[in-house]
Amino acid sequence: MQHRRFVLLGLGGVIALIVAMTLVGLDQNLTYYLYPTEAVDRRAEFPDGERFRLAGIVVEGTLQRGEIHRFEVSDGGATIPVRLHNNPPPLFDEGVPVLLDGSWSGAVFDASEALIRHSENYEIPDRGGTGPGS
Amino acid sequence: MLSLLGTLGLLSALLGSVLLTWRGWLAATGHTDRGLAPAARLVLAGAAVAMGAMQLALITDDFSLAYVANHHASTTPFPFNVATAWAALEGSIILWGLVLAGFTWMMLRRHSRSPDRLGAAALAVMGAVAVFFFALMLTVANPFEVCTEAIANGCAASSPWPFAAVQAPLEGRGPNPLLQNHLLMAIHPPMLYLGYVGMTVPFAYAIGALALGLPGVDWLRRSHRSTVVAWSFLTVGIVLGGWWAYEVLSWGGYWAWDPVENASLMPWLVATAFLHSALVQRRRGMLQAWNFVLVISVFALTILGTFLTRSGTIQSVHSFTQSAIGPVLLGFLLVVVVGSFALFSARAHLVGSTPRIDHLVSREGSFLANNLLLTLYAFVVLTGTTYPLVVEAFSGARVGVGAPFFNRLAVPLSFALLLMMGLGPVLPWRLAPPRLLWLRTRGPAVIALAAGLLTALTVTRIGWVILTVVLGVFVLACSSGVLAEQARRQPGRHEGRLRATLEVIRSDRGFWGGQLSHAGVVLVALGIAFAANLGAHAEAVMSPGDTVVFAGHTFIYESPFQRSAPGKSTSGARLTVTEDGSFRATLEPSANYFGADPTGVSTPDALHLPGGDIYVTMLRLDAAGVTLVFDTSPLIWLIWLGGGVVAGGGAIAMTGRRAGTMAPARQTADV
Repeated sequence: MQHRRFVLLGLGGVIALIVAMTLVGLDQNLTYYLYPTEAVDRRAEFPDGERFRLAGIVVEGTLQRGEIHRFEVSDGGATIPVRLHNNPPPLFDEGVPVLLDGSWSGAVFDASEALIRHSENYEIPDRGGTGPGS
Repeated sequence: MLSLLGTLGLLSALLGSVLLTWRGWLAATGHTDRGLAPAARLVLAGAAVAMGAMQLALITDDFSLAYVANHHASTTPFPFNVATAWAALEGSIILWGLVLAGFTWMMLRRHSRSPDRLGAAALAVMGAVAVFFFALMLTVANPFEVCTEAIANGCAASSPWPFAAVQAPLEGRGPNPLLQNHLLMAIHPPMLYLGYVGMTVPFAYAIGALALGLPGVDWLRRSHRSTVVAWSFLTVGIVLGGWWAYEVLSWGGYWAWDPVENASLMPWLVATAFLHSALVQRRRGMLQAWNFVLVISVFALTILGTFLTRSGTIQSVHSFTQSAIGPVLLGFLLVVVVGSFALFSARAHLVGSTPRIDHLVSREGSFLANNLLLTLYAFVVLTGTTYPLVVEAFSGARVGVGAPFFNRLAVPLSFALLLMMGLGPVLPWRLAPPRLLWLRTRGPAVIALAAGLLTALTVTRIGWVILTVVLGVFVLACSSGVLAEQARRQPGRHEGRLRATLEVIRSDRGFWGGQLSHAGVVLVALGIAFAANLGAHAEAVMSPGDTVVFAGHTFIYESPFQRSAPGKSTSGARLTVTEDGSFRATLEPSANYFGADPTGVSTPDALHLPGGDIYVTMLRLDAAGVTLVFDTSPLIWLIWLGGGVVAGGGAIAMTGRRAGTMAPARQTADV
C-alpha cells in the first residue's frame, strides 16, 4: 500500500505541474489586440519592443513595396506608419483590413507578420489558420 | 409560402418534443407507456419538413426568406446552395434539430422493441433537449423569418410572422466566400453535427438513469453504440475541417488552435476518455461516478462549443449581447451544468461504491492514466480557449492566446498518450506482473527502437520526428503482438494463421476496432510530425517562361489567366510541372473574388505525391510578374488517412457485440 500512495502522490504531482504550466503559459502567451486609436492612446503601456497586435486598414496610396514594406494603417481615427519586415500574406494590398504582429519603435510600428482579416467568423490567420467553420 | 411551411414544421417538431418529454416522463415513472412513438415521429417529421422547406427555398432562390437573402445568391452553384442551409447560425440549427430528431427516432425504435423505464426516461431527456432547440428556432434564431425590408443584396429587416408584407430583394448576398470554395465545406458540417448532436444520447441515458435512481451499468451498455457512432462522426468532422483549412486557406497548415477548432476538439477528447472509462466500468465495475462526470462534461462541451462559435463571442465578448442567441445558449449551458451536477449529487449515494483498483500497473491502471491525460488535455484546450473571453469580460482588453501556449502542453500530452496506447493493450486486467510486462513489450520496444534508428540514419535527425516514429511503431507492434499471441492460442490453428487471426478479430470487434483506431491515431501523429518538421519552403517572383526547381520538380510559369463565373472572378498563374523532363501536372494557384467583396480569397493548388504535397500559393500578381510561395508537406496525407482509420475503427467496434447479447466473461485480449 505504501507503493500505491507513492504512485498517487506522483500522479497528483503531474496534474499539479500541468495545471501550473497551463496557468503560467497563459500569461506568457497572451497577446493584446489594439486598433490604431487605442494603440496611440495607450502608447505608454506598450513601450518599444512590447509585442501586441495592431488591427486596421491599409491606407490607400501609402503602400511602398520592397525588402521592407512600408504603409500606414488606420481605423478612421488614428493613423500609424508601419514597417513590415516579412512577406505580406497573399492578396495583401491597399484598402485591405490587416492584423499586424509587432511592436512600437518610436512613432512607427515594426511588424514581423501580417495577416488579412476576412469578414465574419472566418479569418485567415498567420501561420496558424482558421478552423473548420460551423 | 415556404416561410409558413418551415414555421409549421418547426411548430410540429416543438409540439412533438413537448409531448415526447411528457409521455416519456409518464412512462419512466411507471405510468402508461403510450404516445411515445407518435411524439418522436412528429419531431422527426417536423424537423424534416423544416429542412425541406429551407432546401426548397435555397434551390428556388426564394429571397423572400431573410436567411436566403442574406446567405445565398442565385449564382451560388450546386452543391453550395444546398450547403448554405448550414452555413450560418439559423440554418445550422435546423440541421442540429434534424440530427437530434434522427437520433431520438433511433432510440425510440429500440425502445419499442423492449420498452422499459430507463429507455423512456432517456427519451424524455432527448425531448427536453429538442424542446430547447426548436424553441430557439421559433424565437431568437428563426431561420424562416420573411424579409420585410430589402436592400440591394440582402435583407435589412425581417419578421417571424409568415404573413407579414414581404419585400424580397432581387438578389441575395451569397455565402461567405471561404465556404463556397471547396466541396469539403458541404460535407464537413453535417459530419461534425452528427458527432456533436449524437453525444446527446449517452447524456440522455445518464440523466435518465440518475433521475430514476438506476445508476449501474445499464445506461452505459444502452448508449454505447450511439456514443461510438457519434464519436466516429466527430472524428471525421474534425479531420475534414483540418483538411478543408489546408486545401482552402492558403497558409499550408490544417490546425491553428483556433477557438472554432478547439470547440470541436474538446468534446472529442472527453468523449474519447469516456469510451475508455465506460469500458472499465463495464468490465470491472469501477469509475461509476467518473463516467457520469465525463458524459455530462461531453454534452456541456458541445453546448459550450456551439455557444463559442455561434454567438459572436469569439470576435468580442461584448458582441455577444448583440443577438439574443448568446445569452440564451449561455443560459442553457448553465442549466445543463448546474442541473446535471445537482441531480448527480442528489443521487450520489446510489452511485455504487467503486471497487478499489487492485494494482496500478494493470489494464485498468492504464485506462486511469489515459483518462487523466485526456481530461488534462481537454482542460488545457478549454483554458486557452476561454481565458481571452474572461480577460475581456473583466478588463475590457482584447487578447488572444497564441498557438505556442497550446503546443507547449499538447505535444508532451500527446506523446504520453501514444506511450499509453502502446502499453495499455499488453497489460492484463487486475495485475500485470513485471515479468509478463517485460515479455510482452520487449519485442515491440526493440522493433520501435530499430525503426527510430532507421529514421535517424535515412530520413532526419530531428528529435520530435524520431520520437514520434519510435512511439508510433511501438503502439503498432504492441497491438500486433497481442493479436499474434491470441491467434496462436486460437483453437483450430491448423486451419491457417490468417484464418485464426481473423477469427480472433471477429470474436472481439470492440477491442480490435479500438486497436484499429489507435493505429489511425499513430498515422495522424506521424503525418503531423513529418509535415510540421520536414517541410521545405521557397519563394519566387516569376515572369512568363521562367522556371523554378523545387523539391525535385521543375515549375514553368506559362501565363497568368483570368476566369469569371457568375458571382465569382478568378485571376491566377498557370504553371506546368515537370519531373526529369516529363510532364507531371498543371497547377493554378489563384485569387478568387466573390460578388462585391473587395478582399480576395487566395486559393492554393497542390501537387499530390506519395511522399507528400507540393503546395503552391500565389502571393501577388501584377505587372512585375507573379509572386509564388512553394511549400512541401511531407506525408501530410497520413493525417487525412489516419482520421479515416480512427473512424473506421469506431465503425468496426460498433458492428461488434450487441448490447444485451454481450457475454461478460468473454475471453478477450486481457489474458
